[in-house]
Amino acid sequence: MYSQKVFEHFRNPHNFGSMDNPTVVGQVGNLACGDVMKLYLKIEKNKQGEYYIQNIKFETLGCAAAIATSSVVTDLAKGKILTDAMEIKNEDVVKALDDLPAVKIHCSLLAVDALTEAIYSFYQKNNQPISAEFEQKHNRIITCQTRLKH
Amino acid sequence: MKLSTKSRYGLRALTNLIGQDCSCSVNQISQNEHISADYLEKIFSKLKKAGILKVERGVNGGYSLNRDPQKINLKEIITALEKPEFVCPDFCSCQSKSIWQQVNTSFNHILSSFTLDQLSPPQKKSVYFDYAASTPIDPNVLSAMLPYFSQSFTGNTMSLHNLGTTASQVVESCRQSFASLLKVKPQEIIFTASATESNNTALKGIAFANKNKGKHIIISSIEHDCVLNSAKWLKSQGFEITQIPVDKYGHLNLDMLKKSIRKDTILVSIIHGNNEIGTIQNIDKIGQICHNRKVYFHTDASQSFTKVPIDLSKLNIDLLTASSHKIYGPKGAALLYIKSGTNITPLLHGGGHEFGLRSSTLNLPAVVGFTEAAKIATTNFDKENPYLINLRDYLIKNILKSIPDSFLNGDPKNRLSNNVNISFARVEGESLLLELDYHGISASTGSACSSLSLEPSHVLLAIGLKPEQAHGSLRFSLGRFTTKTEVDYLLKVLPQVINKFRQISPFKS
Repeated sequence: MYSQKVFEHFRNPHNFGSMDNPTVVGQVGNLACGDVMKLYLKIEKNKQGEYYIQNIKFETLGCAAAIATSSVVTDLAKGKILTDAMEIKNEDVVKALDDLPAVKIHCSLLAVDALTEAIYSFYQKNNQPISAEFEQKHNRIITCQTRLKH
Repeated sequence: MKLSTKSRYGLRALTNLIGQDCSCSVNQISQNEHISADYLEKIFSKLKKAGILKVERGVNGGYSLNRDPQKINLKEIITALEKPEFVCPDFCSCQSKSIWQQVNTSFNHILSSFTLDQLSPPQKKSVYFDYAASTPIDPNVLSAMLPYFSQSFTGNTMSLHNLGTTASQVVESCRQSFASLLKVKPQEIIFTASATESNNTALKGIAFANKNKGKHIIISSIEHDCVLNSAKWLKSQGFEITQIPVDKYGHLNLDMLKKSIRKDTILVSIIHGNNEIGTIQNIDKIGQICHNRKVYFHTDASQSFTKVPIDLSKLNIDLLTASSHKIYGPKGAALLYIKSGTNITPLLHGGGHEFGLRSSTLNLPAVVGFTEAAKIATTNFDKENPYLINLRDYLIKNILKSIPDSFLNGDPKNRLSNNVNISFARVEGESLLLELDYHGISASTGSACSSLSLEPSHVLLAIGLKPEQAHGSLRFSLGRFTTKTEVDYLLKVLPQVINKFRQISPFKS
């Protein structure tokens, strides 16, 4: 059912655990659905003065696909400047895992959503300009969350 | 000295042949080890020349070890592929020459002392805790079945010739055996191909035969999917379905049942031993209630048959389902008991087999196996039942003791002898299942993530669990071949597995 890559990340997940004093946290999913993902980001400025993800960690409650997608998204995001990290799509996560079963695709979305939410809250906290597109993405995630809760 | 690529690949490829009963194709090993097939062919032909491998040509041909892997040493393998030598060339006359000769002799001696079998990976442990899903076939059942695959039993039970009659006699003797076990008449038993089919026949067959009397059917909230989905389908056909709730242990609310039976109620179908949480219903009382109100009562006894004694001469049961592959018989056989005088219509129309209630040529060896399995289970009951209960309670007690925030689902006492169902807080069942599988342990879960519908188990929700508690549930079902050593292995691995995922989880105690 799962690819070898999924098993590798599931059995030996990268960057898992909590983080002391993270810059921001992004959490999506809910207990009733069985998947909750929490990403901790340490964001700093690089030499060019751009914000980048200096460190990233995850904590996930969920199935093998949820854990593997969390692990992969931390790999993909680590070291990236925020504007690049925002470009990570769920297709990239699926590709990095050598595909996911159709019923598990939503897990990859959840991982990318958690990253989006973390970056969104960083933008908000630091009064960074939020594009209409970004706002829309954030709203979609929020609505999806509320819908799931009911 | 460094091992050449050829030797490394040769040794890796050879480990694939250890313990194989038949020949392996080069392509197969090439895929296993990611070594190019051409290269592997060259290596194998050298190993064949050295008498380590033998080859068989033809469709099922391939390579196999020429000798016991304990009798093949590493020196001969490596020598066949390269020259593992520390000697100076012949023309050399340096002073260290004799030293190198000694080193070489010792080195060859060391290499000879290792054998091929030492390279084989340790056998992966396999511990089965999913007997409720399906049981392995009992070897005695298999030997009882084998003669019935022979030509002497070619006949269709409906044919009038000698071979047909022989087959028919076998089936009738099987029917007689079940009649004696359940204390009913032989003609009240029909053989089907699965418990799903028996349950479908019971629900749809009663519904359509009695629709002029009424269109109301009652089931419980913890039925197996095949009853639940048959009822849902009947609803789409104009029938009305009432689901009776259960208490926290999974026992049916009998008052609610009494109140729900109406004039137009035609059938009550309640599962006997629940497949997920193991709770055993009081079918005696339920039967009485239905009998008093003149409503047919069907029970799905797939899990309980031979685990709980069932004497149908004393119970008010009109229809009962039992299955072969849950009691160490083959898959593809089941039965439906239908009390004589019951108004029922068949699902399958055709040649009129099984008293016109189930047309289809019977799977004779499977019916024979099912019968043998039921006989063995009944004979062994007095020994097996206490053995399983003991092991079950030992497992439950120790899981609850060693793992914090874990709780038992279902009735602690009145449950199937082989069922253990436990919820673990702050973890999810599918990941637990896969991690246990990595450790060679087979179990099952009520988590949504393991189901195609992405819905958590309706049974666990029905006994009042929150969705997250259902997601974190595991079912371990034991059986005839489960040993205390296996249970102890599970008890050793499980706390580590739960702990691993609780560390990854964002929720802490």
